[in-house]
Amino acid sequence: MVWGIDVFAGYKSGHFYSESLSLARCAEDRFCPDPLGFGRDYCRLGGGIHLSTEGMLLVRTDGTAVDQIRVEGDVLEVATPNGDRQQTDIFIRPDGSVYPEKVAGLSLLGYSDNAITTVQFQDGGTVDNLAVKVRLQSDRMGQTLERWLAIAPFGYQQMDIGPAHLEIAKASDGEELTELLAAPTENNHVFGELQIGTKRLDVKESLGQLVKLSQGVTAEITDVWADFRLDKNNQPTSASESFNNPALQVILKDGDRQGRWFIFAKPDFEPIRAGDDFNFTASYIAPKTTRTDYFRIVETPNHQLFYAAASSKGFKSGEFVPGEAVTPGWADFKISLAERIDQAIVQRQVVPVAPVAQGLRDQKSGAPALHVATADGKDAWLPWNEPASLATEEGSYFAAFSPKILQLPFYVKLNDFIVERNEGSESVAMWTSEVTLFDPATDTAAPRRVWMNHPTWFRGWKLAQASWNPGDLQQSTLQLKREPWWVTGLTWLGSVLVVSGITTMFYGRAIAKKFKPKAIPNIQPDEPETPNTIPIFQALSDLTILKKSS
Amino acid sequence: MKATNLIKYFIGLCLGCMLLFLPISQFQPDGLESLRTLTVQLDGRKKPLDTVAKETVAKIHGSITYQQTDGSTEDYLSTYLELWFNTRNWNEEPFVLVSYRPLKEIAELNLEQKHFSFRELMTNKKLAAVVDLAHEKQFNEQDLNRDEREALTIEERLNLLYTSVGDQSLPIVPHPTDIKGKWAGFNNATELYDVEKFAPLVGDFAMVQQTVLNGGINHLSMLTGITDELKTGLRNLSPDIYPSDFVLAREAHFNHFHPFAKAWQLYGLAFIAMLVSLWVKPWNIYWTAMGLFSTGIAVQTYGFFLRMQIAGRPPVTNMYESVVWVGFGIAAIALIFELITRNRYYILAAAPLSVMCLLLADSLPAVLDPSISPLVPVLRDNFWLSIHVPTIALSYASFALAMGLGHVAIGNYLFTPNASSRLKMLSQLNYRVLQVGVLLLTAGIILGGIWAHFSWGRFWGWDPKETWALIALLCYLAPLHGRLVGWIGDFGVHVSSIISFNAVLMAWYGVNFVLGTGLHSYGFGTGGSELLIAGVVGLDLLLVLATAAKHKGWFSSAEAEPLTTAENPN
Repeated sequence: MVWGIDVFAGYKSGHFYSESLSLARCAEDRFCPDPLGFGRDYCRLGGGIHLSTEGMLLVRTDGTAVDQIRVEGDVLEVATPNGDRQQTDIFIRPDGSVYPEKVAGLSLLGYSDNAITTVQFQDGGTVDNLAVKVRLQSDRMGQTLERWLAIAPFGYQQMDIGPAHLEIAKASDGEELTELLAAPTENNHVFGELQIGTKRLDVKESLGQLVKLSQGVTAEITDVWADFRLDKNNQPTSASESFNNPALQVILKDGDRQGRWFIFAKPDFEPIRAGDDFNFTASYIAPKTTRTDYFRIVETPNHQLFYAAASSKGFKSGEFVPGEAVTPGWADFKISLAERIDQAIVQRQVVPVAPVAQGLRDQKSGAPALHVATADGKDAWLPWNEPASLATEEGSYFAAFSPKILQLPFYVKLNDFIVERNEGSESVAMWTSEVTLFDPATDTAAPRRVWMNHPTWFRGWKLAQASWNPGDLQQSTLQLKREPWWVTGLTWLGSVLVVSGITTMFYGRAIAKKFKPKAIPNIQPDEPETPNTIPIFQALSDLTILKKSS
Repeated sequence: MKATNLIKYFIGLCLGCMLLFLPISQFQPDGLESLRTLTVQLDGRKKPLDTVAKETVAKIHGSITYQQTDGSTEDYLSTYLELWFNTRNWNEEPFVLVSYRPLKEIAELNLEQKHFSFRELMTNKKLAAVVDLAHEKQFNEQDLNRDEREALTIEERLNLLYTSVGDQSLPIVPHPTDIKGKWAGFNNATELYDVEKFAPLVGDFAMVQQTVLNGGINHLSMLTGITDELKTGLRNLSPDIYPSDFVLAREAHFNHFHPFAKAWQLYGLAFIAMLVSLWVKPWNIYWTAMGLFSTGIAVQTYGFFLRMQIAGRPPVTNMYESVVWVGFGIAAIALIFELITRNRYYILAAAPLSVMCLLLADSLPAVLDPSISPLVPVLRDNFWLSIHVPTIALSYASFALAMGLGHVAIGNYLFTPNASSRLKMLSQLNYRVLQVGVLLLTAGIILGGIWAHFSWGRFWGWDPKETWALIALLCYLAPLHGRLVGWIGDFGVHVSSIISFNAVLMAWYGVNFVLGTGLHSYGFGTGGSELLIAGVVGLDLLLVLATAAKHKGWFSSAEAEPLTTAENPN
């Protein structure tokens, strides 16, 4: 068990639990008597739950009740064209081969823990979505690259190639077009801007300054991190100088009330608010990175293409037409329009990273994937935790390669997560999760407190405080373990037996002697000498003697 | 027990008590009580200034007295006041302990010198490079090597010195309402109190500072009146929050009475008395020695009682406490067996070991940190800590006692190899202690398993501490079984009690100081002098080997064999 999980790892795994898409949930039969705690769960999941099955459960005070845990292992769910569904545990051997070899007509060929999604743009969309393939050519380096840029999906609006930056944008009117095609200007907001309430603050200027928000309420930006992450001691820190994940800390004060907020520039990270409540909206607008080298393609409302190119050698712009190469001034690179699709749709394909395929989107973000083949020999890589369909002649297979999720026989709702600190310091004294456990079968709810060294038991499961997120005190991670009371009883019994066994061996005879009444004279004091024999053989030989004599 | 013996026993007890309470002056007030019991909220608890001074000086200097360059020494309270009010040029005082030799070599510091000045260390570029590398590795979650861990310790010492000198923010101003609220220093007390209410105290504080600056540290008694006033003023700010005088005085008393140091002196005296009773037959002072030894145990028990009261937790939670506890366990187990058998050897084996444990704990504050700080959450508020750890540590104590008895026996084999009845008896004595150790260690390991089952969700996980505890247990189980089936005899029991103790040493000290990994990281540390300990262990094993060679006659000459005498009828 690892203490102090990374904020975003925790965040992510939380999503895995709730968003994992299950193609087929087993038919539920909630009414199963379970007198010994052996596990009503046997009725519910095909595989059954072994003792000591364990998993982590991430709950939030502002989240809903959870009844699924992520356990170790992966599953493959397949729905065949004729409607059969099958769910199987997948075991991956160290060499990347997979057991079992066949699931519902799909052959499982192998596994890679570093696969990426590549894309192709094709015509055939129903809405306008410009996608262009640009070719970059350098004679001096003997290099030709082709890259797709598209208005949608968002990730294809820009990309970095070496020192240069490619981007595509759509101008909705003439004014915007002019702005997009204008030469680069000095960036005014080096650290970006903070929008809080109705105020918009330049972060660099207001850093460390008290800013009045409304009557009595002041805000102060105390810290800025360009590339936010938590270090080993769970202290915020910046991993680099570049604004990859900008975040800032704001302290809000109103008399005695104080709030401490972490605000992230990435739109999908909610601000983390600690302390007293303040009713303000806040967003952090990251600094627009001043690119000295960029090549921007702009689509006008009437579908003309223009470009704006900036480099250390200067700035140029003009119409971007097929067959005419532009030299932006990065070495001897020439950029030309290779392909243009006005109503593009995206075609994704998952491939393992090695061998390096052309047109990789981002080599670092490899994820696990499973290599499968259909009966007619077509093969594909199934990305982890993303259901996919495989088209074959007889119809489509639906397959999901996902983390193993276990259905609990009850719901867990986190009501409060309490972090006690040692007096006068930031060091943690104790974490306590106040939860409500709800059993739908009996319609009973039990309020429980779980803290370090004090787990709670419910319906044969042990719930223990496992981890926390120092940046977000509204969430808590519990460890759930299948452990009926008799397992604990057996452990205790075994322990007592071992220790009392040793005690008896060491001291049993001496103690027995103490308590034995002193030898009574009319009883023969010494036992007759018995020859050294092995009792079982002795018994057997006695038996044979008996037989003979009879 | 005969009446004369009882009298002798009481004489021993009285002698012991005399040693405890002399000189009487240690209990007489010296006027600095208010200064010592000025409360500081630091590192998660409220403690008297006396403790803060002791801990700060011990952490930076590695000793609780400051050995100055001119040879004179200064106690921790004076030294701390000089730090607090910045009355010396602390940049140039050779005050910071750097003891790890390889690091001194890297930093090109004088190898013979133990203490260095703040300036010398701060301007040392090579040391700074090691510290930077260590920080970088920590950031990237890489393992640090010994040099880097030591360098970080030195950085901590420098930081502590830097913050202690002229510290205006030392939190001595109580929180007005909240028992767990954050206290303030004199520089930011206005955040908690109105200026008018607080102003007189600022005056008092300035007076204290002025007195220390003017009168120097030689006239501490001049501080009596002002510190009384200052403390009363601070208490009156928030009388409900400020700890009671009893609590503060108790901790100051614990620091000054120093029960663990008194205990080792008594054990030492008892050892000498016991030797006298063994060798000087006309003086039968066996019971007097027992009296002294009992007093030692009593004062150590009192020490543990005080420490538990102050810290509010079970007796063994870190390496320092475990060493003191093992010293106590050795003495207690020896006393019980001695009372049953009455043959001197238990005390003779136990007393030097207890003295060694307590001396070690006392003299290496930088390695075995005696400060009382809050526990990490996993150790807190639980019944397991109060039984699992003391049980394990008591088993270590039994094995240490067995090892001591083994040495007594080895000595006998070397010098009086013909005293066969004594050698036989020693083996019996040793066997009994080994039994206790095996029982306690088994119980301790199982208790630990149950706790781990609760806390980490598994009974057994091959964590280094677990693994080595199991190895140690097996190392003792093997000779016990070997003795049962006759593979080893009396001599073998002694030899195995010495050799097997190395497994205990590894489980206890080795996992924390040599390996330094695993989940049982509550007592990890650096500066454990692995080479020195390895050397001592090696020499000891050589001694055992030599005795074994003599006993078994491996090197005896061939001519000696055929001699047949009355004693040697073969």
